[in-house]
Amino acid sequence: MNLRNLLLATLTLSALQSMSFCGFYVAKADATLFNDRSEVILVRDGQRTIITMSNDFKGNVKDFAMVVPVPTVLQQSDIRIVERNVFTALDAYSSPRLVEYWDDNPCQRWEYAESEVQMDMVTSTGKAKVPAMRDANEKDYGVTIEARYAVGEYDILILGAKESNGLKDWLLDNGYKIPNTAHEVLDPYIKSGMKFFVVKVDLQRLQASGYDFLRPIQVRFESEKFMLPIRLGMANSSGVQDMIVYAFTRTGRVECVNYRTVKVPSDKNIPLFAKARFGEFYKDLFAKNWEREGRNAVALEYAWNVTPTWGGMKCDPCVGPPPMPNEFAQAGVDWANDGGGQVFFTRMHVRYGREKFPQDLAFQVTPNTEHFQARYILTHPATGDLTCTAGQDYLEDLFYRRTREMDELYALTGWDLSQERNYMNEVKGKLTPARRNGLEGPYFPSDGPNGNGPNGMLGFVLGLLALLIGAYMLRSRKTASIA
Amino acid sequence: MQALIGTSTRLRSFIQDPRHFQIVFLGGFLTYGVLALGWDSQWMRYATLFGTCVGIQTIFIRWKGIPWSSLKSAVITALGMCLLLQAGSIWTLVFGATVAIAGKFLLRWKGRHIFNPGNLGIAAAVALTGDAWVSPGQWGSGAMLVFLVVASGSIMVLRVGRIDTSVAFLGTFAALVYIRTVWYLGWGADVWWHQLTNGSLLLFTFFMITDPMTTPRSGKARWLWGMGIAVLAFAFSWHFWIHAAPIWALLLGCALNPLIDHLMHGEPFHWVRPAPHAQRTF
Repeated sequence: MNLRNLLLATLTLSALQSMSFCGFYVAKADATLFNDRSEVILVRDGQRTIITMSNDFKGNVKDFAMVVPVPTVLQQSDIRIVERNVFTALDAYSSPRLVEYWDDNPCQRWEYAESEVQMDMVTSTGKAKVPAMRDANEKDYGVTIEARYAVGEYDILILGAKESNGLKDWLLDNGYKIPNTAHEVLDPYIKSGMKFFVVKVDLQRLQASGYDFLRPIQVRFESEKFMLPIRLGMANSSGVQDMIVYAFTRTGRVECVNYRTVKVPSDKNIPLFAKARFGEFYKDLFAKNWEREGRNAVALEYAWNVTPTWGGMKCDPCVGPPPMPNEFAQAGVDWANDGGGQVFFTRMHVRYGREKFPQDLAFQVTPNTEHFQARYILTHPATGDLTCTAGQDYLEDLFYRRTREMDELYALTGWDLSQERNYMNEVKGKLTPARRNGLEGPYFPSDGPNGNGPNGMLGFVLGLLALLIGAYMLRSRKTASIA
Repeated sequence: MQALIGTSTRLRSFIQDPRHFQIVFLGGFLTYGVLALGWDSQWMRYATLFGTCVGIQTIFIRWKGIPWSSLKSAVITALGMCLLLQAGSIWTLVFGATVAIAGKFLLRWKGRHIFNPGNLGIAAAVALTGDAWVSPGQWGSGAMLVFLVVASGSIMVLRVGRIDTSVAFLGTFAALVYIRTVWYLGWGADVWWHQLTNGSLLLFTFFMITDPMTTPRSGKARWLWGMGIAVLAFAFSWHFWIHAAPIWALLLGCALNPLIDHLMHGEPFHWVRPAPHAQRTF
């Protein structure tokens, strides 16, 4: 191949790639799908961490209270209230997305169909409740009130404690309902030198503020520790919880250092009927993938350079408008709006429980700027008359493509697809009898093509190991007999 | 029969050199990572590390006139780096792999290289380029993985006679983490177990710190050295909150090797039992 042909081939390839980018966003699977969930914005800049905790507390606000271990005594200027819509915007921008494409009719070129936009969302439900606090004499408990602030509608205390029983008693006597097992978890935090950020709501100030919900609280501190304490939240829960982490750094992706960070399956072609059930699709996909990864991995759902001044493609397709200056400011991404450098956005989804997540989540910032998004693809068939030879060839290809889509859907979600025969039959119906007979029978995945990948691989590696151990023993015996 | 004898001879010569085991095991782990743990199959990354390691080793083989069998060591270094080193650009990988192999020939003391090649390459890429990183969490903490690494690692360290280093390092590290996590902080033993069964830590224990070329020659010194590296790694992890702490601890440990060998003598190591005319090994 001469240079000119090579150049031509390269251009054609890049043209194909750029064509594949022009899809339409049709649906998203946002964080509200997951009921028992929390959302956190995590900004890391050098040694500074800014954590914003969303509050979807649905009970009586006078019952609300929160205890979070923090590494330092926070000043009042380190604590602020932010608007809840920052979470909505970040979620909308980074959530898993469905995109659709249309095939051209090979008999009748340039026919085009309109997009039908459809959202699929499920609302969330409430969480635990903790009674409000009474005054108490902290000296009897070995508990020190390091600071006391009123920020927005919240009353905030920073507590230091000498030992867990004292802290537990203090919390109980001040009206916090904490589980009996909590002191086991409080103890390690106390001994690690952590303080406790304790929040309750001041009803009068809440009424004066005009809000009828609790706004997210943001804290910032300087510490070499870049982690999220999850053990305290597990003390009264035997099940699993979901947490969505929206992380921002100057350099690149955030990843977990004590659990695996694994991309969710992405860029998968799925059948058209999955569109109406996209929310359910992603929930099931997430659950199945979580099982497959051993229930102890952190799922990566989105990673992208979102620097406001960066000219590259920010998403493909975009599920919402990119984060606005106000949202960066709210989230604590201080450097974003003054052109202070790159802003890299990582979205992680952790489903954690006591059994598989014994340690708090520790993170690191990496220079990894590779983009990733959870994206699923629908392809609409060509419409119109397909009786020409090219049209019949196209329908045969379509049949096999739909076979792969069904396989993929089953592998991703484990759905029972026996009711979806029509999806295959409608293609067959358009083929001439001669062509139809050449196709394989109606297709319904039943026992799944996905199997247990890791276990199969384990078998292989174990077998290899056994072989080598055998060879080694053989060799040792020979050496012994020679000696 | 002839064929059988031929196969048997080939097998014997294959298993005589522990490096072959190391290549098979490390290759197996890489395959496991890509296929079972769903790592990105970054073939370009793997090809760059292999190409650079083997290429630089070849240059030195031609220059210094050393045996071609030393290419095996370069392959092991490349595999180790594939398992641990991540980078944004392939030039960072080229840099890391070049430092790894060239360091073996240029940073020497009394006919012996000072630093563990893979360790030096990784440390240089991470510390100097700002474009490289190590992902300590990429293996997870699965029981099966623990079994695989410990089983294959034990064969390996027994084969090269460096079980002392592994045991000293892992034993000391496990004890220190236990004292801190369970005794002092009061976490449950499962937290300790989760920290200890990290795949990256175990791979380091059995396949990196045990490189017979860069461990002290004296057996007693190796015990102390392994323990010292464990203490450093522990301090880096929990006092300075440095991830992938064992990598930095080993770098310091290797830097002390000339002094240790000077104070505590021992037999030099050869991958294959040397012929009467002893040759330089790399």
